[in-house]
Amino acid sequence: MNLLDQYEQVVGHQEVQRLRRLGERLGGKRVVHVNSTKSGGGVAEILGWMIPLMRELGIDASWEVIAGPPEFYQVTKALHNGLQGLPVALRARDFALHYEVNRANAERLNLQADVVFVHDPQPVFLPAFTPEQQVGRWVWRCHIDASKPNRAIWKHLEKAISHYQAAVFSMAAFTRPLTSPMFLIPPSIDPLSDKNCPIPEPERLSALSQHGIDADRPLLLQVSRFDRFKDPLGVIEAYRLLKPYYPELQLVLAGGPADDDPEGAEVLREVMSRAADDKDIKVLMLPPDAHRTINALQRSAIIVLQKSLKEGFGLTVTEALWKGKPVVGGACGGITLQVHDYHTGFLVHSAPGAAYRIRYLLRYAEKRLRMGNTGHEFVREHFLVLRHLRDYLTMLLCLQQPGSEILAL
Amino acid sequence: MDPPEPFAILDCGLVRCPTGRSCANLRELRDAVQTVPEAVLEHHMMRCALDDYFSLYEFPNDLARWCWSALGDQILAEHLGVVDPYQHPSIGALREKLVDFIEDRLWGLDRVPWCRPGLELHLIQSRLVTYDTGERASTPAALVESIERMSIRSLFYHVHEARRRSGGKTDDFSQWLEDLGVEGRVVRRLREIDFYFLNLSQLRDEILATLRQCLMDPMAAKGPDR
Repeated sequence: MNLLDQYEQVVGHQEVQRLRRLGERLGGKRVVHVNSTKSGGGVAEILGWMIPLMRELGIDASWEVIAGPPEFYQVTKALHNGLQGLPVALRARDFALHYEVNRANAERLNLQADVVFVHDPQPVFLPAFTPEQQVGRWVWRCHIDASKPNRAIWKHLEKAISHYQAAVFSMAAFTRPLTSPMFLIPPSIDPLSDKNCPIPEPERLSALSQHGIDADRPLLLQVSRFDRFKDPLGVIEAYRLLKPYYPELQLVLAGGPADDDPEGAEVLREVMSRAADDKDIKVLMLPPDAHRTINALQRSAIIVLQKSLKEGFGLTVTEALWKGKPVVGGACGGITLQVHDYHTGFLVHSAPGAAYRIRYLLRYAEKRLRMGNTGHEFVREHFLVLRHLRDYLTMLLCLQQPGSEILAL
Repeated sequence: MDPPEPFAILDCGLVRCPTGRSCANLRELRDAVQTVPEAVLEHHMMRCALDDYFSLYEFPNDLARWCWSALGDQILAEHLGVVDPYQHPSIGALREKLVDFIEDRLWGLDRVPWCRPGLELHLIQSRLVTYDTGERASTPAALVESIERMSIRSLFYHVHEARRRSGGKTDDFSQWLEDLGVEGRVVRRLREIDFYFLNLSQLRDEILATLRQCLMDPMAAKGPDR
């Protein structure tokens, strides 16, 4: 069975038909995606499914990865942070290195294409060093919040962005005025991936027992880095407010190891200390590839929390909704696009607020079920990979046929 | 005359294009409404109906909703909520009306209302993409069945977008029924539905109720004498 047939079983015939129709319109076009890593991170994950699907639709898609010395990645890490508004100090030679590595990659990579998508700021200067006739259109795909960048970093990147014919952002709140047209394409989850596919019941139960979680008692879950913006301490506070009413309640905070992140390690220490000797709080350090474990935890939770104070899109919310769980989430970033009060969960502004909404949800099993079903359908409609791909292809058609008239397929 | 073609069910979607511009207070909203491209007003006053997946909103447009929930200016929200863009001959005329309401409100306020950070109105424009679903209805009864199960996006295309296409005169359903020779009162009652003030789920219910009443009970279709 080909890939599209597999997805058709999840999203239905109409959605796949739409894609095939778009494919017919764009068939034979050569599309190249360029990013800075072949594995690890959200962008590599997206390109991992997008390239084969584009090819199945008859588009000549390929994926190129830029290469540079280790110090280049330190510079681009700073650019990444600076684009999100964090204070960073880069010197003239760092900016020069960014140019230089882009120049070398422009010569090395195969960029002959109708459209080249450049992901994030690392390869952003490629158009400046690529002969004009090689590429039909350049599109900058910015996956991060660029609405309030560090000024020096923006001054540097702005010179590159002016070469692009279009830019793509995940949310309107992440954008800033640009001279080229912009498009909104929210991210998505892959329903067939290890993180989101249905898993056998024995595997789910085994994952729980492996981490000392009682499968018969209600479980609250937050999956996120140990980062102050994810407010893990607020989650513990909410749990503590609930515990007198629901003594059987368990809480799992699942995140990755924080060895390379000094602040993460500090937050983790605070979380451990706050959890103290409460045996019903489990703080799990999971390896980056523990997708099936996270899947099992999300499917086992009665309610999922994402009590962030600041958030990007919040794909952990999408994952939980897909698994039919109501989500109690901080009213920020992309969580507000996904969590709708009384429909898919509740937006909250404080730990007591989270406790109050969780108490409501624990009390009404039928409402939990209804919200879970609504959330699942909401994700099916808006946040799965085929919608994501459709948005990309429709954008390509819009670039091909600019104007404001209706685009008929 | 040949009978009309079967009714073709189309679906639609939006390609959303942010402008990078946002409003944090009422003065910025006034400036934006005065200067943004027409497509931005069209999106926030009309196409935003497609964003109301859960039928959450009381007001039918983004500007009224934002004034109510982010600025806390209930008076202006109520004024903007009753502006029906489909009753304006052009987006230019709509723009004038909106600016007039906002300026009038600004004139009477001691302080310009601001929203909290994170609640800004991000201005976007959109392009409509239509897809033929391949589904066809050949009779009024088949049309009723199709309306029952079509997506709310299809409903938007065949009602809201049809009004735009026809200069405010008709929706696709009533036009097709008229071409089919269905009694004029059925057509008139469909066109009388106050579609802009209903969310898309309510609109579906209202269209179905009207059609069922008219098609199942021809006497009721005649309605009260005017």
